[in-house]
This record gives sequence, structure tokens and C-alpha cells, in this order.
Amino acid sequence: MKKTYRILPVYTGDVSGAASALYELGGMTVIHDPSGCNSTYNTHDEVRWYDKESLIYISGLNDMDAITGNDTKFINDICFAAERMKPKFIALANSPLPYLNGTDFKGITRILEKKTGLPCFYIKTNAMHDYSKGQSEAYLSFAKRMLEPSDSKIENGVNIIGVTPLDFTSTDIYINDRYQIVSNWSLNTTLDEVLNAPKASLNIAVSSSAIAVCEYMKDRFGIPYIKGLPWDGEVEDYLATQRSKSKNYIVGEPVISASIAAKIKKMYGIDFNVIASTEITDGLLLDCDKVCHGEEEIEEALKDAKKIIADPLVKLIAPSGAEFIELPHFAMSGRLYKKNIPNLMKPEEYYHGT
Amino acid sequence: MSIEEKVLIRDASFPKPFSNGLEFNAPAHGTWNIVHIGFRIPKAHQIYICAINCLRGVVMTAAEMGELGRFSSVVLEEDDMTHSGRIEETTIEGITDALNKLPELPPVVIVFPVCTHKFMGCDIDYIYRVLNERFPDVIFVKGFMDPIMQKRGTSPDQRLRKAMSDIIPQMPVNPDVAAFVGCDVPASLSNDIRVLLTENNRIIRDTAACKTLEEYLSIGEAEKLICQYPAGLLATKTASARLGREYFYLPLSFNYKTIEEEISSLNLDVPDGFFEAGKKACEEELLNLKELIKDTPVAIDYTAVPKPLSFARFLLSNGINVRTIYLDAIDGSEEEDFQYLASNYPELVLHSTIHVSDRRLVRSPEKILAVGQKAAWFEGTENFVNIIEGNGLYGYSGIKEMLKLMEDAFTNSKDLRDIVPRKGLGCRSIV
Repeated sequence: MKKTYRILPVYTGDVSGAASALYELGGMTVIHDPSGCNSTYNTHDEVRWYDKESLIYISGLNDMDAITGNDTKFINDICFAAERMKPKFIALANSPLPYLNGTDFKGITRILEKKTGLPCFYIKTNAMHDYSKGQSEAYLSFAKRMLEPSDSKIENGVNIIGVTPLDFTSTDIYINDRYQIVSNWSLNTTLDEVLNAPKASLNIAVSSSAIAVCEYMKDRFGIPYIKGLPWDGEVEDYLATQRSKSKNYIVGEPVISASIAAKIKKMYGIDFNVIASTEITDGLLLDCDKVCHGEEEIEEALKDAKKIIADPLVKLIAPSGAEFIELPHFAMSGRLYKKNIPNLMKPEEYYHGT
Repeated sequence: MSIEEKVLIRDASFPKPFSNGLEFNAPAHGTWNIVHIGFRIPKAHQIYICAINCLRGVVMTAAEMGELGRFSSVVLEEDDMTHSGRIEETTIEGITDALNKLPELPPVVIVFPVCTHKFMGCDIDYIYRVLNERFPDVIFVKGFMDPIMQKRGTSPDQRLRKAMSDIIPQMPVNPDVAAFVGCDVPASLSNDIRVLLTENNRIIRDTAACKTLEEYLSIGEAEKLICQYPAGLLATKTASARLGREYFYLPLSFNYKTIEEEISSLNLDVPDGFFEAGKKACEEELLNLKELIKDTPVAIDYTAVPKPLSFARFLLSNGINVRTIYLDAIDGSEEEDFQYLASNYPELVLHSTIHVSDRRLVRSPEKILAVGQKAAWFEGTENFVNIIEGNGLYGYSGIKEMLKLMEDAFTNSKDLRDIVPRKGLGCRSIV
């Protein structure tokens, strides 16, 4: 059954993804949830919580307020926190029960804007999707509410979009000196930097969570985008590298996995097919790749595998005869293998071409 | 109720010193959650049925314990909320699928539906009827992960403890057996009750320390049920009523009179001079502590001891400079201690652990001795007693041991950054 996970953990969820995407941007993210989301997020899905301040809270929703649709307390509590903590903006994230009872988040953001004078926006989460969807929704909502067109353009300016510790825990993204990084969305960054994004001439989507906001910026600001990791600092779409059908698989987020597969093909001439196991996949894969959601589909897809590159936990469902190359992914195994997570931009650290 | 993150006890309201608002979560995670608690039943397999963001916290708890083999999940999606009867179907078929995929059928399965099941009006009884028909050899424990209910009534972990005790069978009473029930931390070897039970030739069982399922179930023959942790009281009371056994609620106390009365209530043979010797040992240890730490400020949190106000009163009354207690609510049993402290130590600070302002802490540079992980994190001190739930301590020995732990913490610092983000103090951690 597709919804059953016998032994594998689920990926980080959309609510955590949204919080992660906005973590460093100086706003206040409020998750409308009874309890648990905040602890789950800061324990298992966020490496920065202990050392770097960010205003991420839960509403502490109780049963009576959920049943009666009492939004007043939610609104008043947010106003109090905003007055006290002075965020630059307010973002609201949804969870299963407010989703179920149809809480009017857009209406609430309008009220909050009037009451606080701060930009407010709603992130379409409901805790039923993975982190890539949450990050994607957060970036898109942020861009729609916060970005303004710019008269000045930086000709060689690029935005790197889709970077959070959930995918890039130990990775520094380097770009050739021909380019100037205008903004990084959104690791080791600031709100001011990200607000400069419309000045760039090119967006680089380094994960699937960047695609929606790149499409938006293409339409709104005329900024084209390219997908893939910038190997050796060079900007190139990974889909330009043809790969053939193979029994070597790389399991994970599609943009990163396919970029690595393209790099391996170029470096060693070896074909790896992507098993894309996170949600956003449209237009991100070659014909030889597969979309598999959930433990059962991944296990089935790996049955004929000769080589597998994946998070170490995937070994629990991998055929014993396959060669397994560990590539820990924080959004899957969390803190379990955090010390072993390599710099993705240094493939020689995790794949040796054999 | 105060809208601020801290309030002087003289100005605080009882039992809720702070008003509700948005909630912060401190990165100190030594307390146990329902996953840690559920694994106290040997060989039990846990299955959670919920949205993935809610699943993530519990499955990663199991993963960090190295227990993924005893944990399965069923993911709820939008269609489970929009199709009549779908949530029951997904729950039943998901659990069935998970159990059929396991290498062998576990003897006990703890099932955790969630808030969504309640709000959808899901027929939980029907689910268990079908599961019992399909898996007649499995004992199903009826857990729940519904944090939306925890601000009123009982919390999910209290109800889980009860559900776990519900499977303890009715057995003939064995007057030689006594059982500690409902705690996460086993009764310590020095625990006065444990020592006295041993000296009275009782066989001791402890729900927190069973090695086999048979041992866990054999608690059904215990003559006395002893609970030392408030969250385990519901389980103990219901087991007591169902099995027809006497129960004793004896949480770690810092009041000599209370200890004497409680120990006497157990009807055990107590050696001559036991109470006097115990008090004397405590007094001597207090002098040692005072001599060592002098006027160093002390901070206590509610995760370290079941009765933080009672503990603070004891320390303050004996000259120890308790400055702050970290808590968000006060247990009803501490009202007298609250009134005493408000009258006699009005400058004592009560500090919330979830207030929005807690994200931006102002920490004192002076040396502070903390008891509990949250107090340590909030104060930013590496001199802290690293325990939860009273650490299985009780009685005069419990007081003495606690004072010695404070002396050790004052002298030997700990790695706060490494220790407090780890979940479930005392559980296996492979992080």
C-alpha cells in the first residue's frame, strides 16, 4: 500500500520546509498548529535552531478554538508577538486541522497587515506534503508579497535559489567569478540580499523547491532561469547531459540527484538513473528517470539495482546484492548521519567512479 | 496571568502564572515523548497514522533510538479527509499492510491515530474491531497522538501510559510483589521505597525497567502499585481500580514529614532509626552543598523534578539561593508550596519556557547552577544537573542524592551544546 511505510522515515514535511526556507529572512513564521510542529522542526529538521535566532512559533491551537473557528485569539497572539519581537514580515503556515476546518488564512493576513503594519503572507501548507513543496510555497508566497521590480539590472548578476540545510547541509555553492551573486535563497543570507533578487539577470534553481518562484520571477521580472548545480562554478542545465537507461540509481530530490547523475556521466561515463522521491518533479527528469513516492514504490524500483546512491536509510529497503553508496540527506535521515553529510559540490568525496 | 515571560512569585497567579500565546520551543529535548514511552513495552511495535509533517517527529525519534524496525507509519493525505469512510479504510488497511510486511508479527502493537481522526469523527472502535479480527494473536494498545486536546484534560502521554497499563492482565494477587507503575525512569537503586521493599523481601517490578513482555504483563500479580510521576497517575489509578489493587502516589518529595508519612503508609517494616538517620544525612549534605556553592544562584526547571516548587522551598529554607524556576503551569498539589514561597520568598522568579520572548534571551554572565536541561539552556550554564522526572529518586536518599548531583554539577561542567538537543534522556541515542 502506497501510504504505508514499514520501516523508512517520511521526508521532512512541508511545514518544516516552509520554516526552513524563511529562517534567515528576518520575518516571523507562525505555524497554526496545536503542538509538535515546532519541536519536530527544531529537533529533526533544522540545524540552525540552537545557534542562530529565528522567530518561528506555533499558535498552540486548542480543540475548542478549532471547533468554533475562533481566529481572534490567533490574530491577537500574533499581534502581541509582532509588537514584542519586531519581525520584518509575518508568514502563516497551515496544518491539518485549520486546513480541515477551512481557516481563512488570506483573510487573516489582511487583518494582520492592518493591525501590525507589516507585510503578511500565507504559505499553502497542510502538513501532508514534503519539504520541497513547503519550501516552494514559501519562496513563491514571499516573492509575490515582498519583491518589487528594480530599474537597475546587474548584467552578470545571478540568484541562487532553493538552498536550505535540508538539502545543502554541508554544501557551499561556488560560482565562477564571471558571475556576481546577487542573492542566495536562503542559506547564509539576509532579507536585504534576497530583496535585491529582481536586479539579477539569471536565476539558478539548485533544487526543485526553486522552480515555482523562478517561473514567477521569469514572468514578473523577466529573469530567465536554469536548473542544476553549478559544477566547478559553471552554470549549465543538467538536462543537457544525456543519460541512458541503467540499473544504477540515485535516489533523492530530483534537481540535485539529476545534477549529480549528469556530473557522474561526464566524469566517468557511467549512467545513473534518478529515482525522484520528493514531490516536485514536472519537467525535471529525463525519460530514463522515475518518479517514486513512498517506501513501497522506491523498494520496487530498486529491485534490479546494481548500484545505488542514496541516503543510508534507503539501505533498509535496498536489495542486498546491490552496491550501496551512501549519500546522507538531512531531509530524510535528519541528525543520524549529519556528521557524514558531504559537500554535494565535491562528488569525489562521495562517489569514486567505480 | 502575566503576559510577560517572567513574573515574581508574589505577583503570580496559581496554577497558571502565564497567559497563553504563540509558543516558542527551546532546543532542550531530554524529556520523553510518546515514542520513548511506548517502547517501554518490550517487543511492542508502534504504528502512527497521520500527515507526514506530524509523522516526522515521531519516526525520527524512533530512528534516533535505533528502533526503526519497531516502528511503522501510515500517511494520511487530502483524500482521507474528503472521502467519507476513507480515513477508517486507510487506517485499517495501512496497519494491516505494515503488519503483514514485518518479518514476524509483533505480540503487541501500539496504534496512534491523531487529532484528524477525532475531528473527522472516525469510528475508532470499528477500526479496532477489524484489527482484532484480522490479527487475533496481537494485543493492540490504543494510543493517541492528539496534542490539540492537551490544553484541557489529559495529555496524550498520560493517556498512552493508561493504554499501556490497560493490557496488564488480571492475575492472582501475589503479596510478595510490588510494582512501580507509570514512570519513564526506573526507581533508582537507592530509592527509599525500593530499598525498603527489598528489605521486606518483596519482588519488585517496574514498568520502566521490564526486559521481557512476560515480565511486563506479570505486573498483573502485584499487590501494591506505586506511582512516582504525575503523568503516570491516571494509568496507576485505572489499573488499581481494574485489578482491585492498592495504589500509592509517592512523587519525589522534599518535605521530611511527607516522606515519613508516605513511607509509613506502605505498611512495611521500617528499621529503627530509619527516619532520623535519613534526615541527618540530608542535613549533612545540605551543609556540604552550601559550603561548596555559597550564594551561587540556582535555577530549577519543571522537567527535572515532579514538584519544582517543593524543591525550591526546601532549598531556599536551607539557605540555598534559588533565583528562578522555569515552568509554564503549576501542579495543583503544589498550591501550599506556592503560597509559602509567595509569602516568604516573594522575589523568586517564575519564568515561562514557551513565551515568544524566550527566543531572544538575555543571559547573565555570572556562574549559575541549574537543575534540569531547560534551566541550563535558558541560563546558558554548563553547570547543570542532567536529569528528568526526578531521576527515579525518592525519600531521604533521594534528597541526599539530588544534593550530591548539584555538588557534582557545580564542580564539573557538562557539554550543554551536545547534551540538551538529544532526545529522551536515558534512552539509547545513535545520533
